[in-house]
Amino acid sequence: MFRLLVQELKFRRNTVIGWGLGLCFFPLMYIGIYPSVADEMAAFADLEIYAAMGMSLGTFADWVGSIMIVLLPLIAAIYSISNGTGTLAGEEEDGRLEMLVTLPLPRWQIVTAKALALAISSTIIYLIVSGVSWIVFLAIESQIETVMAGKDLFTAVMAGWPFVFAMGMIAMFLAAFCSSRRFASMISTAILVVSYFGSNLAASTKVLEPFEPFFLNTYLDGTGKAILEGQAAGDVLVLMGVGLASFILALVFFQIRKLTVGAWPWQRGKVEA
Amino acid sequence: MSENVIETQDLTVYYGKHRGILNVNLTIEKGEVFGFLGPNGAGKTTTQRVLLDVFPPTTGKATVFGLDCQKDGVEIRRHIGYLPGELALYSNMKASEFFKMYEYLRGENGTKDYWQELANRLDLDTSRKISQFSRGNKQKVGVVAAFMSKADLLILDEPTGGLDPLVQQTVLEIVREVKADGRTIFFSSHILSEVQAVCDRVGIIRDGQLVATQRVEDIFAQRMNRMTLIFEVIPPAGIFNMDGVTELERADKSITLEVRENLPGVLSTAAQHKVMDIETHNISLEEIFLTYYSKDNGGSHV
Repeated sequence: MFRLLVQELKFRRNTVIGWGLGLCFFPLMYIGIYPSVADEMAAFADLEIYAAMGMSLGTFADWVGSIMIVLLPLIAAIYSISNGTGTLAGEEEDGRLEMLVTLPLPRWQIVTAKALALAISSTIIYLIVSGVSWIVFLAIESQIETVMAGKDLFTAVMAGWPFVFAMGMIAMFLAAFCSSRRFASMISTAILVVSYFGSNLAASTKVLEPFEPFFLNTYLDGTGKAILEGQAAGDVLVLMGVGLASFILALVFFQIRKLTVGAWPWQRGKVEA
Repeated sequence: MSENVIETQDLTVYYGKHRGILNVNLTIEKGEVFGFLGPNGAGKTTTQRVLLDVFPPTTGKATVFGLDCQKDGVEIRRHIGYLPGELALYSNMKASEFFKMYEYLRGENGTKDYWQELANRLDLDTSRKISQFSRGNKQKVGVVAAFMSKADLLILDEPTGGLDPLVQQTVLEIVREVKADGRTIFFSSHILSEVQAVCDRVGIIRDGQLVATQRVEDIFAQRMNRMTLIFEVIPPAGIFNMDGVTELERADKSITLEVRENLPGVLSTAAQHKVMDIETHNISLEEIFLTYYSKDNGGSHV
């Protein structure tokens, strides 16, 4: 399995560099610009529209939370969805998976190597973005008022990773479950979008409150408090738990999948009477 | 006593309600080159994929080297070199990188000399990126990958597809070398001439069912002659009513016969009349194949 993991990481090298550098736009732009918009943002501190989007812009910590914890994981999740569905269903559709499964490798090792490669690659992307955030913070530190230190910002940005991991594993499970990559991508993206809007609406609407635990974004705290004190351990555990449960489901469904056929699990072959 | 490398029992695969293969019973012995003949969609690839545990059969059982294809898939695949019919490669790699990766993932060492030799024989430039290759060159990459491990069993799904005639000959030459080495090849194709050239036995699959399995030499040993006898005066009807002979056509002065046996009887009967000319031709494997696929006769045996 280690050999396949190494190979899978090699395949992702360029993608990781591209996404890592691309997502650096967030800290470079949004953290870098903060000194020049800090006063204006303070005026928006209590706007309900931002609250409905899960954002608060009053302080630097709020600002960082809104951008780096609320928005960045949404964008990074697109990487994990694209990679999670592409690495199983995508490779199955273009025929490359047939080459892999006909090698002397058990299927669980193929899924595990691909899941690890996805987890490691998204970690590297997050390390790049978190590192750049730290550097940008050091550049503007003297121009802003905050109790945060560079390493606090680094840790706060990295705290978005469990969400990205969970979305990646959900995408892998769906890729092993659905009949095609198209369905897997569509459902994963729907989960991402519904989760984002659902958690924000549930947080601000009494009627939807009971549904709040079902939205993944509920477990991603983008408030200034969470930036300063860290994400709640329970929330991190839920996201990691969802990720691991999805990974186990991916293992199970890939094991019984009729590869190259492109069928749903209930469309197993039946002998006609 | 011969040793079966591949054995299937009533192997059936359904894709939902669609038939893949139906009750395929097949045995392939160690050291033989088995040609699996059939048109597109007949079930050749499905059979091979079950053997490689790409998916399980709906019913029936398949064993390779005496091991169950579903339970012992990993161990079986350790001894198989496979060339898929729908070859997909990592296009951003050089061919040499692909072979190194393939060796690495198979957990093997020291195949470089052999894959380099195979690549040279197939005139494949391994320093080029796969994305720059034509379909034929990509097929060469697949062929080299399948053969490079010197596996005990090679499962080749239309190995010469997309290759030019010269390279096709080289591939068939490599197949013969593998056979000479005592290894087994399960070779699917719809190109009859290549099956005829390298295979010991052929299985003919039609609409998912194995309709015949025969040794190539037996096919040719029992192959029939089609004979047209031209007479000065056409003899009376029924003079060639004898075992192993069928009158196919009667014209003004000629009679066309299908002669499976009893050639001396045909000749002596014909000699009693004034024969002006005799035209004969052997029926090729292609014609036999087409007979199996003839809708009119339901694919009956020749």
